[in-house]
Formats: sequence, C-alpha cells, structure tokens
Amino acid sequence: MTAREQAVAAEIRRIVREELREPGPFSDDEELAGRLDSLLLLALVTAVEDRFRVILGADDAARTRSLADLARLVAAREAPPAPGPEAAP
Amino acid sequence: MAATPHPRVAAVGRALPRHWYDQETLLAALSAHWSSRHHNPDRLAELHRAVQVKGRHLALPLEAYPGLDGLGKANDAWIAAATDLGEAAVRDALARAGLGPADVDQLWFVTTTGLAVPSLDARLCNRLRLRREVRRTPVFGLGCAAGAGGTARAADLLRAFPGEVAVMLSVELCSLTLQRDDASIANAVSSGLFGDGAAAVVLLGGERGTTAPRGPEVVATRTVLYPDTEWVMGWEIVDGGFKVLLSGKVPEVVRGRVGPDVDAFLAAHGLARSDVRHWVAHTGGPKVLTAFGEALGLPEQALARSRRSLAELGNLSSASVLFVLGDLLDEGAARPGDLGLLAAMGPGFAAELLLLRW
Repeated sequence: MTAREQAVAAEIRRIVREELREPGPFSDDEELAGRLDSLLLLALVTAVEDRFRVILGADDAARTRSLADLARLVAAREAPPAPGPEAAP
Repeated sequence: MAATPHPRVAAVGRALPRHWYDQETLLAALSAHWSSRHHNPDRLAELHRAVQVKGRHLALPLEAYPGLDGLGKANDAWIAAATDLGEAAVRDALARAGLGPADVDQLWFVTTTGLAVPSLDARLCNRLRLRREVRRTPVFGLGCAAGAGGTARAADLLRAFPGEVAVMLSVELCSLTLQRDDASIANAVSSGLFGDGAAAVVLLGGERGTTAPRGPEVVATRTVLYPDTEWVMGWEIVDGGFKVLLSGKVPEVVRGRVGPDVDAFLAAHGLARSDVRHWVAHTGGPKVLTAFGEALGLPEQALARSRRSLAELGNLSSASVLFVLGDLLDEGAARPGDLGLLAAMGPGFAAELLLLRW
C-alpha cells in the first residue's frame, strides 16, 4: 500500500475501534464481513463516507473484501487527498 | 378428578393511530432532518427500502414530532396517545369476545415505548369503568417479545383462576422513542422499521363459559432466556429518552437458537414441527423472519401472514405478533384440532413461545 493508503487504513482502524467500539487488532487482509455484522459493516461504510467525503456504491461493496481493499478504494476516490488531523499515522 | 380445560383466546382487538404515512413520505421527513449528518444522501433511503415496509401509522401527525424535544414531552404525548389507543384496542377485543368491561377480572399491560405511573392499566380501568377488584399487571421491558410473553403469563395465571377473564393489552408507540440526534445506523434502521399500534387479547379461563366464537386454547407456554446476550438489543436510557441498541447479529441469534428451543418445547408435548399448521411469528424484520423460517425449515407460505403485516404496518414491537394472530382469527383459516405456534423474541435476549390448539 502507498503511504496515503496506509494512512487511510489507519483511520479506518480508528473508526472501527472508537466509533464502532470493536476492539482488537484488524489486519490489512482480514475480511470485513467476517469481522463485522451487517449493521456494523454499514455503519463503517457510512462513517468512511462521512470522514473521507466519498460515495461508496453497491458495486464497490462487491469488490471490497478486506480492510486494505477499502483503504485503496477510498484513497483512489477521495479528492483532494487532504488528510484530517486524526488520519495521521 | 378431571383436569381443568386449558385457557383459551376468545378474541384479539386491534387499534391503529389515524395518522398514516407511506415509507417515502417518512423517508423524506427524516432525510430533511438528517441530510446534513451523512455525506451520502442515499444511505438512509437504502436502509428504509431494505426493511420492506410500505407505510406506517404514527401516534401523532408528522409535523408534531420536531416539537418533542426531550423525554418529558415525548412521554406526555405517549401517555395521551397510548391511553386512547389502548382503550380502543380493549373495546374492540371485548366486543369481538361478546363481553363487556364488567366481565374483566385481570388486566395485563405490556409496553416498552413509554412510562406512566399510575400505569396505563390503571388509567384504562377508569376510562373503561372496569371493576375495582380487577388484578392489574403492568410489564415494561420485554420489548418485541412482550405480546407473546404477556399473553403467556396471562394464560398461566388463568390456570389458577379458571373461571376468570383476562385482557392482555399491548400498546407500542415506537415513533415517540425516535432519537432525532442519534446518527447511528441502528437508529436509522429503526426509523424505517418500527410503527405504532395497539392490540388486546381476551383470554378465558378453562371453566369460563361464553357465547363468543371459539378461539384457540393455550395448551402450553415456554420462555427461554439466552445467557449473556444482553448486548443483542435494548434501550440505552439517555437524557432524550430511549436510544436504541440493536445488533446486526439478531438474525444470526434467531437462526442459531430458535430451532432447538421450538423442537424441545414441542417434544415436551409429544409433538414435532410437522404437527404445527399455523406459525404466528413476530414481524421483527425481513432478515429476522427469513432466519426464523430457515431455522425451522418452514416453507415461504408459513410466514406469509407475518410478512404481509410487516409490509403493511411495520414492526409494532410487542403488538405485532398479536396483529398476526388477529389476522389469522379473522381469516378463519384454522380448523378444529389445528395446532399453532406463536413465537416472539426480544431483549434479554429471550424467546416466548405459546402452543395453540383450535
């Protein structure tokens, strides 16, 4: 992953930990659907959309399996790539 | 000595608020309020469409809700609307049973959407002019399972007083619990799923005669609490009122638990799933109904009545399963000797099961 993708992944981990209250480590290639139930998954997607000002559609969900997939997708889509203060690794 | 006959259901009464809105109208109203909360404006619409509800009745006209800032105002509105709706449901049930207020010996009242002291059953005793000796039992907190659980406990008590008449009333005004400042997904789902309504069941002790049409006997009841599942659903009581806690694992819990429990309950009476002709299931949501059907290996048609009720009214919490029972009685689809299983699950996490026989 690029530095930006890694920063996005770190912020997604923070959302999972602090906003979704799902503790424990979350590796880059862990399957999102294996870890989060349907409501939590939707909560994560909504929080990511709000945080990075991106829109994620049904097609995106079909090809986003892991946390790394989601981080790459968000990093590719966000514009301009201006990380907020919490996103700093 | 001959065994006392089982208590039985004489009638189910129902009442809905007159304010009805289709799902798109409700979505538009909520979107206007929540549009600034989420970057993707389609998220709320996606959730509201996924619950497969066409419209819902609300206790108040839509424009009255923004003024309900805080638990006090919302709960005052709840007491006023719940008393009116509860009275209508009880009157409907008694009329269907061919009974009057003076015939009532026990009044059970279940809700999880509002608070009142004196409880609503006391207020309804005055409204309905019930006898002063009526035994009242208000129950708060069984959530969606309370319609089944309250009916089960009323039937259980009638075994001790087989000459008596019990009315079990459920009033749920879910719309008055909506937390407008809660941007969580659980709240967004709830705002699309839950509606308002009241239902009352008249139950007769086994030795209580009546001229009313015969409803099903309550042959047996069972309640099952699942240890260490408090996190599955519930309320967090906040300054604004009742904030919904809802896990996406509800369907998974239902799928994993309900089969063995229903089998054990039926087996205790020498029965199996194939003996049950009528499934009266709480209308938890499309995924919960699918999980319930899969857990029991039911054909799609077995839960059609529950799915129809969900589409037409939304999830009315504890009142829902009684609406489905009322629909079954109205249709006259059950024949003498038919067996039915009434089932609902709710916070605890827990299941309430009733074995019915026509």
